[in-house]
Amino acid sequence: MRNILDRNQNRANEVRRLLAEEKVLMVNIISSPGAGKTTLLERTLGELNTKFRIGIIEGDITTDRDARRLQKFNIPITLINTEGGCHLDSHSISKVLDTFSLKDLDVIFVENVGNLVCPSQFDLGENFKLAVVSTAEGDDKPAKYPMLFREARAVLLNKVDLIPYTNFRMLNFRKDMEKINRNIPVFELSCTRGDGLGAWFEWISSRITENCNRE
Amino acid sequence: MHELSIAEDLSAIVLETALRETLAKVTRVNVSIGQLVQIVPGLFESAFIECVRDTVAGQAELCIEIVPVRMKCRKCGADIGIEDNNFSCSACGSDDLEMINGRELYIKSIEGE
Ligand SMILES: Nc1nc2c(ncn2[C@@H]2O[C@H](COP(=O)(O)OP(=O)(O)OP(=O)(O)O)[C@@H](O)[C@H]2O)c(=O)[nH]1
Ligand SMILES: [Mg+2]
Ligand SMILES: [Zn+2]
Repeated sequence: MRNILDRNQNRANEVRRLLAEEKVLMVNIISSPGAGKTTLLERTLGELNTKFRIGIIEGDITTDRDARRLQKFNIPITLINTEGGCHLDSHSISKVLDTFSLKDLDVIFVENVGNLVCPSQFDLGENFKLAVVSTAEGDDKPAKYPMLFREARAVLLNKVDLIPYTNFRMLNFRKDMEKINRNIPVFELSCTRGDGLGAWFEWISSRITENCNRE
Repeated sequence: MHELSIAEDLSAIVLETALRETLAKVTRVNVSIGQLVQIVPGLFESAFIECVRDTVAGQAELCIEIVPVRMKCRKCGADIGIEDNNFSCSACGSDDLEMINGRELYIKSIEGE
């Protein structure tokens, strides 16, 4: 039996090999549109830019708005316009990888196209996926899109500052996460107000350091 | 919407196989798709038809089998189905599970003449 996506898989494996050789960690950030991926990157760069050598791949359907928001950090950013496509694939990543000098990087954050279903199916060659959800989307996202929450290495629940104005119930969210995947950390964040960011910075810093020190 | 990209890759494999096997006509394509892939069969089928229009597979029937999620417990060895997103072993309660089915995107067979 042949895997329908074997072309994507083979290319993803190549990307993974290349990154491993250069000890660059790649993090594939997946969320619905507007959950806060770019804001998370702004906060993360603000904190970690001086500690690690960071590169960004911005997946955007047609614009360069997110890439422009990150320009102030003066780090290598490559934009991939998917021209309507609802996810990034390993071919698009592989094509832009040589815009980076990999030996001068510790980590590449990939902001995938806003969508909870499609990006989860396409391996980019990343070390791990990160699921970002926001409270404004409701507490039922893990239950409705279990695949992402099974495969992610961590969940970032963003916009906790909005909970008082929504029908989001933390208990429901936590219960579903407990059923679907109780082995991964869930960070409760507000990327605008700053809640929970310290724990996130610490966790992601450990992952980057761990990867740099790998034999 | 991932239906479209998956259908594109599927049609490429089907056409490449037809060429290699010198098929004049592909009559049927059988695929297994895991439940967690969350494909909409109708959308997938229309996308596939669009991709193979005016080719030797233009009249092919696409048969999609949706495969339910099954896991093997790494602790007690039980082979379990997953219902209601409950990803823990129904026999021993462990959450150390290995996925057997539910995530596949396989071509089972390509039929033609
Ligand atoms: N209240 C609140 N708003 C937030 C928070 N984080 C982000 N936002 C706002 O949510 C909106 C969307 O944030 P982005 O960071 O652009 O979201 P995104 O996931 O990158 O969006 P796309 O790239 O379009 O998918 C912006 O107006 C942010 O200011 C938060 O923690 N609380
Ligand atoms: Mg964004
Ligand atoms: Zn068990």
